[in-house]
Amino acid sequence: MMKKLHEVCIECGYEPNMVLHYIREEWVIPVNRDQQLLDDEDVARIRLIHDLIEEMGVNEESVPIILHLVDQINVLQTHIKSH
Amino acid sequence: MFDPYSALGVNKTASLDEIKKAYRKLAKKYHPDLNPGNKEAEKKFKDVSHAFDLIGDEDSKKKFDRGETEEQQRHQYEEYMKRGAQQGNPFYYETQGPGTRYSSNFEEGIDAEDLFSQLFGERGRGGGGRAGRASGMQFPGEDQLFKMDVEFKEAALGGEKVITLPNGKSLQVKIPAGIEEGKKLRFKGFGGEGYGGGPRGDALVEIHIKPHPDFTRHGMDIHSELPISLFEAVNGAEVPVATIDGSVMMKIPSMVSSGAKLRIKNKGIGTEGHRGNQIVTLKIVLPKEMPDDFKKSINDLASKYTYDSRGTT
Repeated sequence: MMKKLHEVCIECGYEPNMVLHYIREEWVIPVNRDQQLLDDEDVARIRLIHDLIEEMGVNEESVPIILHLVDQINVLQTHIKSH
Repeated sequence: MFDPYSALGVNKTASLDEIKKAYRKLAKKYHPDLNPGNKEAEKKFKDVSHAFDLIGDEDSKKKFDRGETEEQQRHQYEEYMKRGAQQGNPFYYETQGPGTRYSSNFEEGIDAEDLFSQLFGERGRGGGGRAGRASGMQFPGEDQLFKMDVEFKEAALGGEKVITLPNGKSLQVKIPAGIEEGKKLRFKGFGGEGYGGGPRGDALVEIHIKPHPDFTRHGMDIHSELPISLFEAVNGAEVPVATIDGSVMMKIPSMVSSGAKLRIKNKGIGTEGHRGNQIVTLKIVLPKEMPDDFKKSINDLASKYTYDSRGTT
């Protein structure tokens, strides 16, 4: 399901500037950049980034590293399950 | 009732700072996206988050310490448990699966070998790009341990046995003569499957030797016991004795006592031409029933020929 950026911000209770920051950093890549549409993956990813920074105190430099590793783990799990 | 202090592992006297620190530490440990698929971690994370919600800031903490009503708390707890795919509010890991956008960076040309070479390919290259087929990092399968019972004679003299492992494979096991209890035999390639084209693991078969009622092993020798009669002990005799491979005739010298040890050559442990010996310990046994006249004769002899068997004189 696609949602617009401001919808997501209201739903999650996040500042639009914060979410835009995530997008500018390319930690989240909206499924449709021009219209700034976000899908379920994007929304969940935004929540994760928020948790990492705001809840766990991760510094910004570490965010892409962590996301990179998390993505690989998820892929590995999918593969192992399907074997 | 849910206790946020114990959920966070802090004292009731903890400062807000300590509470925040405790929360952060546990959140890092149990966050479901850092433990994808681990339901226990997810439950713990939710407990910890809820706890922080209750006492993480000054106002909430004051409110909680004053004692909110149970109903309010229950409602809050339910609200908190709502995060997750089922409530339409998924964690990131729950959105991931085959063909999702962010993971597709790592999924080009799906096959296990490629995947592993991408992830663990030649060091020194940046991550995320295809590093090509690397020669390193294939994962061998795991070694699997099995137990096998072996007869005393098989273990002593060696043998061959075909067994079926629980993983379905048939194995021809050559049992070396003289194999010891607990020894593990390794069979290459009969264990778990390898990953990414890596080799299979090995099967390790642990030998358990079934005890024999009549024989025991001592190094390369086999020990046994032989009951003999009073008369055989006095006069000597030639009697059949059981060995692990058949019965042999053995000469018993005259005038032996219980505990005397006799040796039968080459009836011990090992292979043809390299066997140990069988050591037979004699045991004098009285007849099961002794008629009165027999007893009388013995007692007559006793009064005449009594002797000290314990060496006290």
